[in-house]
Amino acid sequence: MDYGARGAVGRHDKERYVTAKLWWMMHKDLASEWRARRVWPAMLLLGIVVALMFAVQMGLSPEQKQETVGSLLWLAIFFAGMLAMDRSFVAEREEGCWEGLLSYPVSPTAVYFAKLAVNAIALAAIQCVLIPLFVALSDVPLLERPWAMLAVAVLGNVGIAAIGTLLSGLAAGIRHGANLSVLLVLPLVIPVVLGAAEATRLGMEETLDAAWWRWCQLLGAFAVVFTTAGAVLFDFVVED
Amino acid sequence: MHSRLWCIPVAALVAAAILAVCLVAPTEETMGDAQRIVYIHVAMAWLALVGFLIVGAAGAMYLRGRNLLWDHWAQAAAELGWLCASLTLATGSLWAHAAWNTWWTWDPRLLTSFILWAAYSGYLLVRGSLDDPHRRARLGAVLAIVGVFDVPLVIMATRWFRGMHPTSPGMDPTMRLVLWLSVFSFTGLFVLLLAIRRRQLRQEGLLADLERQTPLEDRYAKERTCLPS
Repeated sequence: MDYGARGAVGRHDKERYVTAKLWWMMHKDLASEWRARRVWPAMLLLGIVVALMFAVQMGLSPEQKQETVGSLLWLAIFFAGMLAMDRSFVAEREEGCWEGLLSYPVSPTAVYFAKLAVNAIALAAIQCVLIPLFVALSDVPLLERPWAMLAVAVLGNVGIAAIGTLLSGLAAGIRHGANLSVLLVLPLVIPVVLGAAEATRLGMEETLDAAWWRWCQLLGAFAVVFTTAGAVLFDFVVED
Repeated sequence: MHSRLWCIPVAALVAAAILAVCLVAPTEETMGDAQRIVYIHVAMAWLALVGFLIVGAAGAMYLRGRNLLWDHWAQAAAELGWLCASLTLATGSLWAHAAWNTWWTWDPRLLTSFILWAAYSGYLLVRGSLDDPHRRARLGAVLAIVGVFDVPLVIMATRWFRGMHPTSPGMDPTMRLVLWLSVFSFTGLFVLLLAIRRRQLRQEGLLADLERQTPLEDRYAKERTCLPS
């Protein structure tokens, strides 16, 4: 009997099993949000209100707008996204689903990756609304290079979602933790907000230079470091 | 180690450093006496960073062995580190007002110091919200490790902006000597306070364990004997 081949098939089956479970956990969150619409409408509304308030406040020249729009966009994305990230754990605990989720036959790391993916999708949903809105309200060429904007958005989303998911999970287990999570995440996420804002600004210039690429590398490094750290440390967060 | 034995030499060293800052270091030509703040500011900034690394390392050791003794180191270092980070911001602000005529500006290093202070504050807030010592130690350790990973990225991100903070200014040899003396003596003070606070936390932990082990009726009996007749 070929044990090696049998082992390979076993591994393959296990991978497929984990991927299927990961998909089901994501599907559960997305489907419950779609049916109840509890967080995303509030999150999108917050993003739109922040964008409008920025537009009202900004009596700036087109050049100045181009300089500042990246920071304003990413701050709006972060604050609106924190609503979704907070609720992703608080809702589980409030409705008594947390113990059930942890007793699911997968490791807590898989739960972390499922939550991270859903939070990154939530951030992408905000961007789908906010980027065109900023273009319309401030008349800035954010979509001049769609692929460059897409690259920055993906890297920024993964970075924010990686650290936001880990720390929201941590804060959800603490008394009045929901009030703490923004306070915990904001100082740590500053490299992503700075990097994404700068990369967004440089992406609107005539040529994409080395500086744009350097900021993208920083965003990529942040995403890799904190996705790995989250996968390792989430076990300790959900221990009890 | 008996911390009290070290109190006198460390106090003498800190007094010598303060005297050297006030009397030995030459007065800087353009800023005058306000420049003397730098000797304290640099020492505090250094200790704030060292404190953060100790919190992260002690947190990792706790997660490895689940020994609360490591958590006592982490808490002691976090409290002292927060104090040093606050003093870094305060002394930096005083210096900035004298040098740049503004209390605060969004220079990269100022931003880094502020983020460090905010991270310390968040860490202490999380610890303060938890009663169970092991839970407090575990969640604190996770937060500290995330913070330690974040610090190099914060430094990298903020330095890529143009800064106005002096990086390595040319210094008079006497000034440099006084700066080193200040850093060395305040590091000694930090280590001494860290040891004292850690021992205090350990004793608190032992006392709490003892109280948990004492039968409830004995504790009530003890309380009754303390009541005035």
